[in-house]
Amino acid sequence: MTRMISPRRRMLRTFLRNKTSVAGAALALAMILVAVLAPWISPYNPLKQNVYYRFTPPEASHPLGTDFYGCDILSRVLWGARVSLLVGTASVLLGMVFGMVLGMLAAYKGGRVESAIMRATDVMMSFPDEVFGIMIVVVLGSGLLKLVIAIAILMAPRFIRLAHAPTLSLKERDYVSAARAIGVSDARIITKHILPNIFGELLVMGTLWVGTAIRLEANLSFLGLGVPPPTPTWGNMIRTGMDHLTDAWWVSVFPGVAILLTVFAFNLMGDGLRDVTDPKLRA
Amino acid sequence: MAPAPQLRYHSDEMIGYAIRRILISIPILLAVLTIVFLLARVAPGDPAQAILGDYASKEAVQALRERMGLNRPLWQQYLDFIVGLARGNLGKSMITGFPVARQVAYALPYTIELTLSGIIFGAVFGIPLGIYTALRRNRLPDYLGRIFSLAGLSFPTFYLGILLILAFAVWLKLFPAVGGGDLHNLGDNLRHLVLPGLTLGLIMTAYVTRMSRSSILNVLNEDYVRTARSKGLRERIVIYKHILKNALIPIISIIGVYSIVLIGGSLLVEIVFSRPGLGKMMVGAMLQRDYITLQSVMVIYAGFVVLINLLTDLAYGLVDPRIKYD
Amino acid sequence: MREFFGSSLVKVGLGVLVLIGTALVPLVQSQQEQVLTIAFDAADLKTLDPHFASATMDRAVVDMVFNGLVRYKPGDITVFEPDLAQSWQVNGNVWTFNLRRGVMCHPWGGNPGYELTSEDVVYSLTKAADAARSAYSGEYTGMTFEAVDKYTVRITLPTALSEVLFFPKIADYAGGFIVCKKAVEDLGDDAFKTNPVGTGPFMFQSYSPMEKVVLVKNPNYFRGAPKLDKVVVRYMSDVTARESGLETGELDVIEGRPEQPWVEKMQAKPGTVVDTFGPGETVVIHWNMTKKPFDDIRVRWALDFCLSREELVAAIGPAIAEPLCAPVPPVLAGGISCTDVGVLRYDQNIETAMALLAEAGYPNGFDAGEVVTSERAEYLIPMQNIQAQLAECGVKVTLKVVDHSSMHTLIRQDVNPMVLYVAWRPNADAFLTRFYHSASIVVTGAKPDTNFSHIGGVDADGDGSIDSIDSLIETARSELIPGKQIWLWQKAQIEIMGLNAAYPFYIKKFVFARKPNVNYGYTLISTLALYPPINELTSK
Repeated sequence: MTRMISPRRRMLRTFLRNKTSVAGAALALAMILVAVLAPWISPYNPLKQNVYYRFTPPEASHPLGTDFYGCDILSRVLWGARVSLLVGTASVLLGMVFGMVLGMLAAYKGGRVESAIMRATDVMMSFPDEVFGIMIVVVLGSGLLKLVIAIAILMAPRFIRLAHAPTLSLKERDYVSAARAIGVSDARIITKHILPNIFGELLVMGTLWVGTAIRLEANLSFLGLGVPPPTPTWGNMIRTGMDHLTDAWWVSVFPGVAILLTVFAFNLMGDGLRDVTDPKLRA
Repeated sequence: MAPAPQLRYHSDEMIGYAIRRILISIPILLAVLTIVFLLARVAPGDPAQAILGDYASKEAVQALRERMGLNRPLWQQYLDFIVGLARGNLGKSMITGFPVARQVAYALPYTIELTLSGIIFGAVFGIPLGIYTALRRNRLPDYLGRIFSLAGLSFPTFYLGILLILAFAVWLKLFPAVGGGDLHNLGDNLRHLVLPGLTLGLIMTAYVTRMSRSSILNVLNEDYVRTARSKGLRERIVIYKHILKNALIPIISIIGVYSIVLIGGSLLVEIVFSRPGLGKMMVGAMLQRDYITLQSVMVIYAGFVVLINLLTDLAYGLVDPRIKYD
Repeated sequence: MREFFGSSLVKVGLGVLVLIGTALVPLVQSQQEQVLTIAFDAADLKTLDPHFASATMDRAVVDMVFNGLVRYKPGDITVFEPDLAQSWQVNGNVWTFNLRRGVMCHPWGGNPGYELTSEDVVYSLTKAADAARSAYSGEYTGMTFEAVDKYTVRITLPTALSEVLFFPKIADYAGGFIVCKKAVEDLGDDAFKTNPVGTGPFMFQSYSPMEKVVLVKNPNYFRGAPKLDKVVVRYMSDVTARESGLETGELDVIEGRPEQPWVEKMQAKPGTVVDTFGPGETVVIHWNMTKKPFDDIRVRWALDFCLSREELVAAIGPAIAEPLCAPVPPVLAGGISCTDVGVLRYDQNIETAMALLAEAGYPNGFDAGEVVTSERAEYLIPMQNIQAQLAECGVKVTLKVVDHSSMHTLIRQDVNPMVLYVAWRPNADAFLTRFYHSASIVVTGAKPDTNFSHIGGVDADGDGSIDSIDSLIETARSELIPGKQIWLWQKAQIEIMGLNAAYPFYIKKFVFARKPNVNYGYTLISTLALYPPINELTSK
């Protein structure tokens, strides 16, 4: 006898069966924990300079060594998780909200609204992320909030396209037409009938794109366009270490490992999530 | 049995489509130009101050602003920009007064060789890897391939570059880590291309492997493949005749899409390897507030993206005649 | 007999020549083309017009291509020597210069060189005084230049000036470089930026964007033909690239990183010589006395006691950073050394600092708000350390890192509660006038410049009256007795330090590395050219 199981539960099962994805989720969770617990688990104050002990190679007292100012790299890497994860998730959420609204609006309204939104999307997607990102940050200026906004601007067009296509087909469904015919308001149709149907996929892609956003943050920080010092961020740390690559490799290498692990975690997780939502790929 | 689609070429239809597709690109390019122009103008920072340095008096800065035309109305500057571009004139660098077109001519080959080598490397290694892992789905090679490609996707371009520099330039001292080499000296040029090319190539391989794998998997589920297999056709024939041909379309578009990602990556690779190129030009122009150079470089980047999108679409049509040209 | 004698003499002579010749062959071969390659930390040049050049890599080329009427003695900026002018007379505010004869302008673009005369000198100085054609026009306000005859130039100043103040304007520095009139007019100002034509030991040959400038020796140089045949100036913004170039021998001289670890690393390498030299640039923090709570002298006093010059010098590195304890560096006439400044050095004393803060009403420190600073290492590195130091006294500083030119624009709009400024000025008057005269107060001054502390415009010590050192600066400027002038300048600085308007940190020296076989041809102590000058005496 087979028990009826809800689609949601089935999805969870599929996800849990994918061991690599579970590993990714665990890793991502660990990173989030590190970010939250940074103040308690980091051995030193990440801002405490001691210029007389600069460029100490990894040793017992400083497991990952020290940087130019004599700051403890382990502590800075732990604290750096906060900025990366914050920027990564906040910018994706912001981009998702705006992209989702605009994408659904475009598809639902059609006509001029649609062509205006979709052409603007085309134009924004006509720049490589790094190129457009540099320009936006240069215009906005640096700072945590501005960085989030800049990356959200880069993420939004992706969500617009992602929300646009399914809304188009949903709009034609009978129940939507029926709802329209009996005079249900547009806002209500969108929130009741369209949003729930596309939200799952948006969320899955959103998770995957958190990794992308973290990578973009690192790229911009590496170019010196990220959160200003003294806030430790992984990209900034790599950037400052670049000049001393030949004599103090540890300054750049360890924060890089942190970025790599975090993005990898989100990619692993997103990979599994996609399998769950894409029935075609289900074995 | 569904027939495997044949490659056919409808020349008239195709050309009509191509023309329409090109026409669509024009308003997009115009919008891109406008955005670039405006962004470069609202960006803070004063090129006049940048040129004169800290010693300059306020009058000198004002005088230079005047002379550089920075005080002219925005629409006039915009008109100059568009008219100049239409004539193929990119203007002169605000800092050195040197024609931007000549700087671009110097930098462009470096960016192109870098990006192309990345794309080719990625295609050459990524497609076979993708096929191989797809055909061995859920077996060890597939897992390894999956982990490899996901790891590749997770690497910030510049960090992979740094690791390659550490390994091959600093410790093994096999290849130069800095500069682009002499364009007129093939050996020197190639030696300088190895590490940056490998950086982009490895990342491209990761993308291509992953996407080829999934498009092959998609095709494997199609009816005609199942039918072909059930008819007892030899596996190799099935792969070549049916699977590859049909998987090619998405693979082409993937290479197109990721070429754009790669162009963005090339910017960082140029900075890490201190290579001449558009990326280095752009960051340099940004630091000096050289609006003219900055907008030219951005336009070229965007032009590449629009062009790649166009070519991808056209190639799509070429390979798959089922696509409606409308 | 005569014929025989003659011919045998010829034969002997020939024989001797052949002998000498063969002996010289290896020598000649190794010296066939003496090319010196120098690499700078820059992506590209900015401008080679000497009246605009301000960055290190540009000043270097300009230095090799042009001359001034007088020059700083190579390697030592405390002594002036004749350059294009052979001699001069002064009569009150009128200076007359007698030009050296037979000085040739370099050939350019197919045009032959020609003899430099008073016409060129007047043209050049007029250009330097024109705000549209020079970044240094402010230095020449009110001055007139006239050609008395072909080899005599008369310069009339609005008021009489001492040599210390006047010579930098006409020396081989900034606006004082003399350009060749016909070349500038022929090429136009824009093309001249990448095709400089002057009278110096090296002539411009070619420019490859983002790569290099090639200079060749000027065989007609008036001090004699240079020993080097060519100088290649390379633009390489990556320090690792410059290092490896020096190691492989592709480069002979490289601009270093002004950081202790780099100096130590390079000094340890065999076959490499590191030169650090002055005068360097002063690094000073200016407290903005119009922003709360910096308007309270006790707060500024506390901050002066809170900061540790020693720690910052250690952070930058003693090889590069030399402590600076007064606004004018001691290398200049009127400067004050750290020993002489005494109690006004404000040696770090956290206890006193905290007590003063408490007295001012901030027992736990305060939030100083946002401070705009440049993304360049020369600003960002000290600023980050200062930020950490102030945090020890509970003073929170939020850095806003912007691009270099934006910083220059923003700080001139008076946005900062404190301004870190890295600069060199050619004399005490320029330092004092531009940073501490009321006319130079940012935004509101009569001639807004770089007075970030607002000294001269505010009541600095809370006694109810405005504190100004304007009259000291002005009296010193027109003082012709050197000793008295120096005394006035020093007094002005004591005032500034007493009012806690600024806190001088250190002098940042320049760092270059070279192959040991490079011989500059003079002793390098200090130079305004910002690089180890390469002249006719330099060899390798």
